[in-house]
Amino acid sequence: MPKAIEIENFSYHYPDGTCALSEINLSIEHGQRVALIGPNGAGKSTLLLAMAGFVKGEGKILIDDLTVEKKNLKRIRRTIGSCLENPDDQLFMPTLFDDVAFGPLNMGLETDEVKTRVNNVLQTVGLAEMADKAPHHLSAGQKRAAAIATILSMSPQIITLDEPDSSLDPANRNNLIKLLAGLSQTLIVATCNMNFAFATADRAVLVNNGHIIADGNAKRIMLDSDLMIKHGLEVPSITDNWIRLPRKSISTKSE
Amino acid sequence: MHHAHIDKFAYQDSPVHRLDSRVKFLVVLIFTAVVLSLPRTSVSILVCYAVGPFTILVLGRIPLKFAFKQILLVSPFILVLALSCPFYDRNPVSAAFGPFIGQVWAGWLRCFNIVGKFVVTMLALIALVSTTRFADLLTALRKLAVPKLLIIQLGFLYRYIFVLIDRAEHILRARAGRKLRSLGFKAELKTASSMLGSLFIRSLATAEHINIAMQARGFDGNWRCLSKLQFRRYDLLFVLVSAVFMLVLYFCVGHFLQ
Amino acid sequence: MHMANELLSVPVAAGTLAIAAGGLGIICRKARQVISSDKIALMGIMGAFIFAAQMINFQLPAMPGTSGHMVGAVLLAIILGPHAGAIVISSVVIIQCLIFQDGGLLALGCNIINMGLVPSYLGFFLYKSFTAGPFSNLRTYIGAMLGCVIAIEAGAVLVPIQAALSGVLVVPFATFLVTMLGVHLLVGFVEGLITVAVLGYIQQVRPDIVSDSLVGKVRLSRKAVLVSLAVFAIVIASGLSLFACGFPDGLEWSYAERPDQPDFGPMISNENPTIAKADDFQTRYSPLPDYSIRTSEMGKVTAEEINIAAGWTSFAGVTGAGLTMIFVWLTARILRRKNTVEA
Repeated sequence: MPKAIEIENFSYHYPDGTCALSEINLSIEHGQRVALIGPNGAGKSTLLLAMAGFVKGEGKILIDDLTVEKKNLKRIRRTIGSCLENPDDQLFMPTLFDDVAFGPLNMGLETDEVKTRVNNVLQTVGLAEMADKAPHHLSAGQKRAAAIATILSMSPQIITLDEPDSSLDPANRNNLIKLLAGLSQTLIVATCNMNFAFATADRAVLVNNGHIIADGNAKRIMLDSDLMIKHGLEVPSITDNWIRLPRKSISTKSE
Repeated sequence: MHHAHIDKFAYQDSPVHRLDSRVKFLVVLIFTAVVLSLPRTSVSILVCYAVGPFTILVLGRIPLKFAFKQILLVSPFILVLALSCPFYDRNPVSAAFGPFIGQVWAGWLRCFNIVGKFVVTMLALIALVSTTRFADLLTALRKLAVPKLLIIQLGFLYRYIFVLIDRAEHILRARAGRKLRSLGFKAELKTASSMLGSLFIRSLATAEHINIAMQARGFDGNWRCLSKLQFRRYDLLFVLVSAVFMLVLYFCVGHFLQ
Repeated sequence: MHMANELLSVPVAAGTLAIAAGGLGIICRKARQVISSDKIALMGIMGAFIFAAQMINFQLPAMPGTSGHMVGAVLLAIILGPHAGAIVISSVVIIQCLIFQDGGLLALGCNIINMGLVPSYLGFFLYKSFTAGPFSNLRTYIGAMLGCVIAIEAGAVLVPIQAALSGVLVVPFATFLVTMLGVHLLVGFVEGLITVAVLGYIQQVRPDIVSDSLVGKVRLSRKAVLVSLAVFAIVIASGLSLFACGFPDGLEWSYAERPDQPDFGPMISNENPTIAKADDFQTRYSPLPDYSIRTSEMGKVTAEEINIAAGWTSFAGVTGAGLTMIFVWLTARILRRKNTVEA
């Protein structure tokens, strides 16, 4: 069975020559939940963008066995949905309903199908009553959920999230963790908040200076205090309550 | 932030809010034209015309204080124009109102006429905008054959005005916090242009992110919309009532009043 | 610089709305060919930027207490190209009218033309003709400056012309024109300074933007530009000449209308606009008998009986309207209270 994401020797340099990513090798199976951890400027965001074909570098990236190149971009972007760091950048339509419908409409679906999908997804993320509201009327937590909804309506197999927990207060962070726990897609979450990473993922990939430093079981990596501190991170405080949240059983391939 | 102001009334529910936005827009447009076409010395009849927007505002539960505050905010230029009339036209003219008969400067009539028309047409515009969600207004414009590119542009503009204005406010606050005295024009210009420049560069970055978000959701240049407007009998009723109102005032009452 | 409804008559408003609508329609169609889909977000953000930029003010020299701010039309045209720039500025003007009620609904056509279409294309054309050839900082800045001043003056000149065409002016045309030109000379100059300064800042940080239009190559056919400029010049010239030649002085033409036959979209024939308009003015604005308000050349009061009747009907009209409004308001309140009680 093809892997969800297969990255082989991928490197990327900024236009001014600085190295952003160097010789990245990464393999992710369908259904896995991976935390991409690392300090600011490590290259996490760039890596996520590269997966969805927004960054052109050297090396090969395969999404569900499709090479990331211009002719495949349309299909790839249906398979992998990208949630950006700032939800304001993702909610650009006059109403929430229009935003969530944007993706399905671009996929060429019929009006009725689109409406059904939008309503279902808004129900899933808990924003059904806000459908007709303008994005600037939503709170920070609601915006984050809304941003995820805009991706969910396209029924992707893989979802990447870039620092989704930033600027959320503890209650909203909790809601986000619950929301992510209820999703069956392959998840790749970039974050520098270790507690959030611990609560969301089983596998951790530590990135710094454009290199992959460590890759393996989340608990093993994140509880290695020397490793964490060396790379500008910290050990999660495992006494927090949300780590004991029950997680929905993960299917190997989403519907 | 004043965007809370403008939007908050649009999400209420009232008989006016439930009207089709195309209908509201066209009626307000025609009403404005009718009021504008009134003779340049009409004063009394303007009060009669004012009943229209007044009713819409009341039925739409828009506080009148809010409406008049908005009008006041944009009135300086028109007030200057209006008050210049008595300056330039001191022709004595006879006027009568109720028990008062006498001579006033023609310029004053003109002045009241201008102010009156301004207030009435502004009330109508405010009635339209504060009882209609912007998204619905855009859909109305789209159905009225406004080019799609312009509709997209208006949508984006509206969505991100407040984001950028907030950023500008932060920058202004930063300047206020560090500027302790008047610096002279050259320094002022340099500071202002740096502020503008950095706001600009940051806006470019935002635009790039939005573009990525659009491409990530499959945007291929074709802007697809879900149309959601419905013209019902209720809207037809509104059209008829408005038409009758305007026709009656224009032809019948207009005969007797100025 | 935003025109209000009251500066226009319905025919002029309708005409300018038609011109603006037609113009925007053509520009949008042309723009779709020139602008790639990934620049659409950029256009939207640039519009919002203009709004935010207009908030950033600074003290003007020699005018204590007043502050200036940028308008942005020419800067946009330089950076986005004239088509995208025109669309963005027009959208800003529309939003200013609809959301902030700055500028009247019927004046939208004029405002779009005066502050959007004309400054964008004129400013861009001047800028480009000055900076054609190898890129040089000095020429860019002079081109931008020149573009700003002339573009803004052009827009300013149109305002008195449109107002005068509407027959609305009480202030003498010449005075209005000179005032507008004078004030906007300063505005254009300040605009030029800011535009140049911002371009300079951007040049340091993102030089790729200034030397090459962000939204793609724009080829303005020389011929098209010259023809448009010629048409524009003719419009301005005929407007000015109309009012230069024996224009009735402001006092005479304001009030000679019949109140019981309000202006009803007067037809203005267009064959020879100057003469037709002059004729039109003569017939429409010469004093007519039989109404209660008219200019009396001797300053005498006209027939008292007519006045008394008119006075009372006016009073009745106003009182009736006032009572209706109170009635509406009370009814609405009662119904609302009833609803909340029942609920």
